[in-house]
Amino acid sequence: MTMSTTHENKGFWHRFFFSLDHKDIGLQYLITTMFIAFFAGIFAMVFRIHLAFPDYHIPLFGIIDAKEYNILVTNHGLIMVLWLSMGILLATAGNYLIPTMLGTDDMAFPKLNKLSYWFFLLSVIILIISFFLPQKGFGGGWTLYPPLSVGDFGYNTPYKTFSDRFFSSNTFVLLAIALEFVALLMGGINFMVTLFNKRAKGMGLLQVPLLVWMIVIASILFMFSVGPLVAGTFMLLLDINAGTGFYDASRGGDPLLWEHLFWFFGHPEVYVILLPGLGILAEVITTNARKTLFGYKFILVLVLIATVLSLMVWAHHQFVAGVDPRAATVFGILTIIISLPFAGVILSFLATLWKSNLRLTLPMKWAMSAIVLFTILGGFTGLHLGAALFDMYAHDTSFVVAHFHYTLIPVVIFAGMAGFYHWFNKFSGRELNQFLGNLHFWLTFIFFNGFGIPLFLLGLAGQPRRYAGYDHIPYLSEGYLPLLREIATISAVILVLSQFIFIFNFIWSVYKGKKVTSNNPWQSTTLEWQTSSPPPHGNFEVYPVVYHGPYEYNRPGVDKDFLPQNQKI
Amino acid sequence: MKIFPENVSVYGDDIDFLFWLITIVAGLATLIVLFLVIYPVLTRKKHKAKENIYVKGEGFKQLKWIYLAIFVMAVADFSFLIIESDGWIKTQETLPEKDFHVAIVGKQWLWEIIYPGPDGKLYTSDDVKKFNTMIVPQDAVIHMDLTAYDVLHSVFIPHARFKFDCLPGRKITRWVEFTKSGEYPMVCAEMCGVGHSRMVGKVVVLPQEKFEKELAKIYKK
Repeated sequence: MTMSTTHENKGFWHRFFFSLDHKDIGLQYLITTMFIAFFAGIFAMVFRIHLAFPDYHIPLFGIIDAKEYNILVTNHGLIMVLWLSMGILLATAGNYLIPTMLGTDDMAFPKLNKLSYWFFLLSVIILIISFFLPQKGFGGGWTLYPPLSVGDFGYNTPYKTFSDRFFSSNTFVLLAIALEFVALLMGGINFMVTLFNKRAKGMGLLQVPLLVWMIVIASILFMFSVGPLVAGTFMLLLDINAGTGFYDASRGGDPLLWEHLFWFFGHPEVYVILLPGLGILAEVITTNARKTLFGYKFILVLVLIATVLSLMVWAHHQFVAGVDPRAATVFGILTIIISLPFAGVILSFLATLWKSNLRLTLPMKWAMSAIVLFTILGGFTGLHLGAALFDMYAHDTSFVVAHFHYTLIPVVIFAGMAGFYHWFNKFSGRELNQFLGNLHFWLTFIFFNGFGIPLFLLGLAGQPRRYAGYDHIPYLSEGYLPLLREIATISAVILVLSQFIFIFNFIWSVYKGKKVTSNNPWQSTTLEWQTSSPPPHGNFEVYPVVYHGPYEYNRPGVDKDFLPQNQKI
Repeated sequence: MKIFPENVSVYGDDIDFLFWLITIVAGLATLIVLFLVIYPVLTRKKHKAKENIYVKGEGFKQLKWIYLAIFVMAVADFSFLIIESDGWIKTQETLPEKDFHVAIVGKQWLWEIIYPGPDGKLYTSDDVKKFNTMIVPQDAVIHMDLTAYDVLHSVFIPHARFKFDCLPGRKITRWVEFTKSGEYPMVCAEMCGVGHSRMVGKVVVLPQEKFEKELAKIYKK
């Protein structure tokens, strides 16, 4: 193993644009995704305010109209799902942690890694440009269903000239999505090759930390599922720009084709996001419970089963969209079955907590609330929606909105924050302010529920989603429903604003935080903690040799309550 | 405080029952999950470091509780599926003999309602088109042909627990039967552009005699 020492010189441009070091690239991903997610959060705040208080003049935005509302909702969804979730959980965590956890100097292909970030940056730039084109942003729903997404989605008037069509928000959003997929595919190839070829000496495949496995399995799943959507995106681009009719029923096409291609990717995408989140939870929970992970192999097997199943459940997004109801039955059965392996994974985590003298640190609070919220309000409501008969009522209502916020936010925000608070001192060499961290946690926890629970009730009352206001509809403006919308809105606003505490804490601690006194403050066993904070270029002064599995806590016959992977008994 | 809007369709009760059944079973599971999270937190100081059990979770003996939980959950899941399948077959896979036939066409941004006209048959020259208000008889099986002119729409009648997408280029027939007369909202549930939230129509359910009079009025005009 050679240590590449040629890139030590780190000016700003070098570090944040040209660096080949996986740690720098991980931080580039982190900062880029946080930058773009900042806007998506602001969008959410603005359209929620519009829903509950339609007459309120929102600073910088004014009173938004239905078209602007659609643009805000669409881009909030697109950015949060495609850029934030995958940018944080796959790209940032994968880039920073995979080589350090595997005890190696860098990714297998550092230059491909660099290229992947450049494509990601390009996709973000193109997405931003889409807001400055004549349509002022794409507003046809994040699922981009044609025929609405083919024309001017605002008024369904077809574009007249080629330049109108090409320089439209539709085209640019699709290009941005395609480029982002290219970026993540290159990243995924790197993750896989690194796992299989660059492990530290002595590290068997079943001694790899679960997070690495999860990111690699997620990357493989991404590769399997993304192909059809790329083809679909290409056809949609042709429909917009070349006047073909792949999705136009009047010319032999079929709008349902897009729904199939989209959800063939779109549902596995949920698991692409979920798996790295579960990986982070495994690391944080074992470290803080001081117990070895219950069922390492068991979890891996369950996750592989779920990965295969996840490719066969996509049409549960289309129970009432015109697919054959008999096919819907099959998809319903598979959807309900996929809950079983994840129940096994969650129960294994809970078994890890059982009879432990756990440390209720800040990352642990995030991790435990991630498990509770994901299981109870995200997972169990998935059973409601998986039952096709009830889905007929709940489909495209706020119930679905609440359901997927309760699956994605616990995974992306809660598990993501657990990881962030867990590894912050590793990548910055400083400590986060604990008071601000706790404040951030409690505000996020309380106001996320304050936002999500009213949405379930609104959905059960029959409130359809993506409406730019409900006050003109009598059955939705009676009783406690307006009050619920106000509670949801105020909570959502506080939820977004409390993330500024985190941003402030992050920036302040990076420059002014207390320097860490130990390289391994959590007394953790995995390899990234057995080097300095932050790790040097090349990660290790002496490359570690691995003797144990990743979670040797409180092993009988060992003095200390933890046994690092590279330490002989 | 009522959770659902008042149910006025023959299959609405099946759907509400399914919701409460899953909610109650999930509620019991919730209690177990909360116990498994909160109990270790409350007793964390009682377990000294060395007392921790070093259990790797391998083999049937150690995993038996998890297998049991998965088995119980599988039984619950499949019960849901079996219980719902009757309702799903009834609402989606079968079409009972029709008493009245109507077509609903979504277009930006209103519902076009096509009545069969005096001859009682749809898609003939005497069909009558109306907008946004659909009158239907009470206690009668109503077949609805769903389609759209421009983009995707979705007919959602919350009080009837009915929803189905309207797709350009397809004509899909689903049915509904109202058990109570009155006026019920019919909204669009599929993103269809700027006017999506304004695409609100209504269903007027009338007792048979009154319905025939109203229908005759519509045909006269």
